[in-house]
Amino acid sequence: MPRSVLLSTAGLMLGYRDVTVVEDVAFELGRGDVLAVVGHNGSGKSTLIKTLLGALPPLAGALRWPAGRPQRIAYLGQRTEFDSRFPIRVRDLAAMGAWSGLGFLGRVDDECRARIESALERTGTAKIADMPLHKLSAGQLQRALFARTMVQDAPLILLDEPFTAIDQTTEAALLSLINSWAAEGRSVILVLHDLSAVLQHCTSALLLGDGRALFGGPKETLTPRNLVAHGYLSQSQAAWIEGMYRQQGVDRV
Amino acid sequence: MFEWLDYAFMIRALTATTVLSFSVAPIGAFLVLRRLSLAGEAMAHAIVPGIVIAFVVAGLSVASMIVGGLTAGIAVAALTSLLARMTIIREDASLASLYLIALALGIFILSAAGSAVPLKSFLFGSILGIDDETLILIGATATITLVSFALIFRPLITNTIDPVFHESQSKRPGLVTQWFMFLVVLNLLGAFKALGTLMAVGLMILPATAARYWVSTITGYLIVTFVFALFSCWIGLIVSFYLPDVPSGPAIVLVAAVFFVVSLIFAPQGFHAGLRLNPFRRRTLPASPPNLNKGDKAHEETS
Repeated sequence: MPRSVLLSTAGLMLGYRDVTVVEDVAFELGRGDVLAVVGHNGSGKSTLIKTLLGALPPLAGALRWPAGRPQRIAYLGQRTEFDSRFPIRVRDLAAMGAWSGLGFLGRVDDECRARIESALERTGTAKIADMPLHKLSAGQLQRALFARTMVQDAPLILLDEPFTAIDQTTEAALLSLINSWAAEGRSVILVLHDLSAVLQHCTSALLLGDGRALFGGPKETLTPRNLVAHGYLSQSQAAWIEGMYRQQGVDRV
Repeated sequence: MFEWLDYAFMIRALTATTVLSFSVAPIGAFLVLRRLSLAGEAMAHAIVPGIVIAFVVAGLSVASMIVGGLTAGIAVAALTSLLARMTIIREDASLASLYLIALALGIFILSAAGSAVPLKSFLFGSILGIDDETLILIGATATITLVSFALIFRPLITNTIDPVFHESQSKRPGLVTQWFMFLVVLNLLGAFKALGTLMAVGLMILPATAARYWVSTITGYLIVTFVFALFSCWIGLIVSFYLPDVPSGPAIVLVAAVFFVVSLIFAPQGFHAGLRLNPFRRRTLPASPPNLNKGDKAHEETS
């Protein structure tokens, strides 16, 4: 079966007005792909996400959507400006994912309500659905935000550093949820720092640094040595990771 | 006991503030939720020179007050934003500087022009100042505010909780913020006659902060804020009726302050919650963890 491409880019230059953040960005995203965007702080990862959302126009190059740009793009950003003291319950936070499709006065119908309940179940937040946000732990809040992302019901999902300040159990549960989205044919682009998560859960990777895309391809080709060559890891960090791989019997050096 | 009901000006004032409560409650609630309480206070002072200049030029008409107040409010908001972007001073300092200048300028012009309106009424409100025009202004303000809230309620919530997410979902994410600030200025103008320029924002903020201690849902929050605002107005006006030297503005705001203090002490999310969450609170700890005691069953099982 031929691979169905959702998005492809070549020679993309991204930034803000007259400031170029990153250039030569090229990647292809198929349906059901999980693309990890990796890079140091300030390398242009969030700029790429904002461009894909349409909040920033590309400075050069173009985004090609062979089957047309999806009507809905789900997005989960960093929580820097999130207000967890707002008086709202988990169920209503999840419902926010459907609001933009309801217009000004549209009501939440049965189909939408079922989508919300299903998202709460799958993210493990059904039992805390009536809890106010300020009583949630960081992990519970992130699960609730994943529920909101699911309610958006989009063919393309963008996640910007979704595992910051999250414990490993929650991270593992949310990563398998991402894989289940991919199995449903949704494409996911996520900004990550954890190399092991990239290798275990993503299909491809894009490494940004030095103002350009340094690497883009299947995850198997993203090795510790490769990352040292591109200046993302130091020799000692790479040696430590290789040691861990050897211990686990993984051949990826 | 109910002789105040025999006075037409009291019925007028009670009607005006009842309608006003429907309007200022959601505005105050979202000022608090959006962490704009102090910005609302600053905006109340910022509109003063506009109102005063309009008053000196065109007399005390509602139309001139709206034009003058809105112009001054928008000018101060735009200048604040410009100073924050173009100079080293941050937005809070820019706003504080500009509203102080605006307030001083307003009072200076009012005094220099030998105004027929007593300064005290201007600053603190007066029950007697509520005429037919003011009633129409308050009615129109409440209508515009409630219709606007029906339309922008969801985007306003999204923008308040998670502005980054809202930006990703909206073609013009700034529109909801700008419309909300317009509603703030409109409500300040609506509340101006009854509460005065210094106290108008008090009816917005104090019921909203008091209500926040009681509820954890947005619908409940808006209802409790409205109830507190309404009773603050009614009780405050009656106090002002029996104490003729006390202007209505401070009387209403002091009643709201009572709601605030009572809520702070007794509400589930007031001091109670603070005491439960306080990590420095002294706790009585057992002398040693039970499973490390020599005779402890758990210890015996593991050893």
